[in-house]
Amino acid sequence: MDLSKLVPFNKHTVRSFFDFERSALNIFMFWFSMGLVGMMLAGIGIYLIEGHHAYGVTRQHAWGLLIAMYVFFVVSSTGLCIMSSLGHVFNIKAFQIVGKRAIIGAIITILTGFAVIAFEIGHPVRMVIYNVLTPGLTSAIWWMGTLYGLYLFFIILEFFFLNNANHKFSKIFGLAGLVVGLAAHSNLGAVFGFLVARPIANGVFFPLYFILSAMVTGSYLLFLIYGWRYKMKFPPEVKGFMVTLSQVLGLLLAILMFFEVWRALTAIYGHMPERGDIAIHMITSKNFLIGEFLLGMLIPFIIIVWSKGRAIKAMVYASITGMIGIFFMRYDLVHDTQLAPMMPLKIREYSLPPGLVEYIPTATEWMISLGAIGLAFMMYYAADRFFNLDHDPEESH
Amino acid sequence: MARYGMALDYKSCINCKACESACKEENGILLGADNHRIWVGVNEIEGLFPDLSIGSSNFQPSQCQQCDNAPCQSVCPTNATYYDDNGVVRVNPDQCILCTYCMQACPYDARYIDDRTVTVDKCNFCSDTRLIHGETTTACQATCPTKVRIFGDLDDPESEISQTLRDREHYSLKAHLGTKPKLFYLT
Repeated sequence: MDLSKLVPFNKHTVRSFFDFERSALNIFMFWFSMGLVGMMLAGIGIYLIEGHHAYGVTRQHAWGLLIAMYVFFVVSSTGLCIMSSLGHVFNIKAFQIVGKRAIIGAIITILTGFAVIAFEIGHPVRMVIYNVLTPGLTSAIWWMGTLYGLYLFFIILEFFFLNNANHKFSKIFGLAGLVVGLAAHSNLGAVFGFLVARPIANGVFFPLYFILSAMVTGSYLLFLIYGWRYKMKFPPEVKGFMVTLSQVLGLLLAILMFFEVWRALTAIYGHMPERGDIAIHMITSKNFLIGEFLLGMLIPFIIIVWSKGRAIKAMVYASITGMIGIFFMRYDLVHDTQLAPMMPLKIREYSLPPGLVEYIPTATEWMISLGAIGLAFMMYYAADRFFNLDHDPEESH
Repeated sequence: MARYGMALDYKSCINCKACESACKEENGILLGADNHRIWVGVNEIEGLFPDLSIGSSNFQPSQCQQCDNAPCQSVCPTNATYYDDNGVVRVNPDQCILCTYCMQACPYDARYIDDRTVTVDKCNFCSDTRLIHGETTTACQATCPTKVRIFGDLDDPESEISQTLRDREHYSLKAHLGTKPKLFYLT
């Protein structure tokens, strides 16, 4: 049976698979990705030997960098799915060129997210079994995991039909993927929002904020994906899309900053214990001011406003700082949630009462987390070689 | 079938930590600072010498509050955390996937990772070692030299704990969260 009739793909030998243009940037990215994946494999090796003791997580700070990185990748996936749906589900003309490239990006980032979480969850195989046998229906993690599984299934089918130019079914599964993806993603926000014990996270903010920040992440990634695809020499059709994308991103960033301001004000107002103090610590930290605010929001926002969205090359570079900012958003989300000690009386002899809970990621955590970015790069390279991800202007939507 | 709870006459606590040792011994808890099911909280003496507030210094023994509405149970994705027939919140290590969501959700920092089973562990009122054999004591309660702990069936109006809770004022930790703890601090 000829598989390429079922799923059209480019056939490659090993030599032709690695036959990319030997430009300095390409060669750098190749070795950079290989290095990252090597680092991830080494990190996994250490984890398999030492278990969670290889990580800097503790009883009071049980979630660490790997959870942050998992959130980083799945937010990226949902973001790409939402932004691509603007074109082929909602028929917004400027976005119609993004379809396949964004969906394969969504598939790759969620697979990378799963790869990271597999080394954080202590018993991933047991998880698959008991997720089905004894489902915890009141658990946001159960809903998030189950819906993300379904979401992955739908977007794979969406890509399959996009690749076969079957626009009727790609639209149906695109819509299904979008709806289930939004549900899964807001449930991920609820994983934090449902924590009644932690006033800094508890509430409606995270389920909503996750959707908004996913759209911002998706926009940054689209800039990076298209900047890389066209090496900054954009055809007119793509240029038009990217100008529209930066205008949309400008609006999204404005809303995001508006959200953050009200989140901070409501958290600080009244100085409620475990909330007001934590919020002040959060917004005065370098992670927030430099990472989240300056890199993640302000620099891209200023470029968009200053150029009225037309500085698309600058936006490709600003998307790199944007993604670094997004990383800090995910890290802070996980870390700040756990800052307040749950039992402040729990002290040992001759020690001061605990202030804020401390956490420093270990080398192993960094190796797996950053290494996963290389895994995503490699999967994207492979997808780009095997499939034709460019938009065919002849195709109607 | 009972509904077990514990009252703590915490002002009698002398912080000898016999309860911590007994718990570790009885339940085979591994060594290490993070590995503990129960602990003694310390309220340090307040003020500057010589104006010290003697009344501020006390000890607050604590552990899993065995909540009737346990946040750790409702967040468990595989129902590994469950209420047993005696109302004790327990973990089935065969079902625990070690996502540690329960450790995030517990308002009392009562859970930790047990390296023997590589799952989350917590106080179970000595269900495995005593209640299962029909005993109605816990290791921490039996060993306490100043009789801080009163353990018993809250549904039995004649039990010592029920009578004590009727007679004496008491409070629960973080009761405003709606967790309905079954640990009571006698004032």
